[in-house]
Amino acid sequence: MTPDHALVQRMAAGDERALGELYDRHGRAAYALACAIVGERADADEVVVDVFGQAWRAAAQFELSRGSVGSWLATIARTRALDLVRARGRRSRALEKAALLSESGVASPVATDDAPDRTAERAEARRLVTNALADLSPPQRRAIELAYFGGLSQSEIAAQLGKPLGTVKTRIRDGLAKLRTLLAGGGT
Amino acid sequence: MTEHEWLALAAPYALDALDGEERAAFEAHLAQCAQCRAEVASFRETAARLAAVAPDVSPAPALRRRVLAVARRPRQLAWLAAAACLVLALGAAYGYWRERADRRGLEEVVALTRDSLATRDSLLNAVLAPNVGTANLAATGKPPTARLFWNPARRVVVIAVFDLPRAPSGRTYQLWAIATGKAPVSLGVFNPRPDGRLTAAMSVPADFVFQVTAVTEEPAGGSPQPTQTPFLIGEVRRSE
Repeated sequence: MTPDHALVQRMAAGDERALGELYDRHGRAAYALACAIVGERADADEVVVDVFGQAWRAAAQFELSRGSVGSWLATIARTRALDLVRARGRRSRALEKAALLSESGVASPVATDDAPDRTAERAEARRLVTNALADLSPPQRRAIELAYFGGLSQSEIAAQLGKPLGTVKTRIRDGLAKLRTLLAGGGT
Repeated sequence: MTEHEWLALAAPYALDALDGEERAAFEAHLAQCAQCRAEVASFRETAARLAAVAPDVSPAPALRRRVLAVARRPRQLAWLAAAACLVLALGAAYGYWRERADRRGLEEVVALTRDSLATRDSLLNAVLAPNVGTANLAATGKPPTARLFWNPARRVVVIAVFDLPRAPSGRTYQLWAIATGKAPVSLGVFNPRPDGRLTAAMSVPADFVFQVTAVTEEPAGGSPQPTQTPFLIGEVRRSE
């Protein structure tokens, strides 16, 4: 299979089919992330169009050394989704719900109306991250979720949880460090 | 702060969770610390993987067509259209700044538009493109401050300076762009208005990519290389 970054190179050269293929591989993940933040499907659509529009325009500036294509797209999607909820004067959808993961750390299942190999790939990525998150303490997990999906700063998280700022800082720092260790070498 | 204390800020920074002053201070530190930059990059990669746990939702098939339509639009047109209406443009610029210091962002937009009519449109065009990099330049989170917008497609930077006194007689300020490990490249010289503000556009050499930007005070006309320690420094943030 063509590597992701080769698709991005073809996009930089103006190849529209490469954009379609990139969307087939990562569109669904970007859409799910956008939905988790913006809540409304119409807004999530807008975010995804925006994400791939930016990827199309910025393809020439993509550098593999700075991270994978998947994380590049996820970063754009998160930023765009948080921008959109802020521009609407709302809060991230992820803040309105108790938590994305249940306390036992079980993620919601992956739908199967996508190509089988991609469904398997996404299910595997989710399993790895879900297992890693389940190994964090619930307070660490919550603080990281509030920052990543909720777009909250440390002081906002402290206010949201009614905990001292120092406690939140420790949870974020230790939690993300532990997550990195757990995910190291675990594939993509 | 010790090196160890700085490193502790890499995780919250990678999650965009540092609050205003702490973030500004850390960004100033990042500009000079390769170890912390690497730590941030590594944590960003970890953070991006969290996206995998978002509940799975099936997008409508029509979304694929909308995405592909993006490619059929000439690349230039998207942001020319965005700049067509000043009101829209202000809204877009305001929304673009994901800074929590919203009030400051708005002030900057106002400052941008306060500049002469002749330069306003080109400044906005440069700032509004979707892949613009930004840098907050600060000494210690206190005035003076500056914000830089870099539009790689147009090869232009726009710098907005705040609370900076005019350079002494025979002196000027000079803006530098620094690619990691390379000598600084001059982007141009400037001098604020008497009210301490300035918005100016400067061109960037073709294919030049930089990570850090800094301001020094130099003899009038500028210097080939900085002769002083920068008093403003910031790391360029790009969403790509």
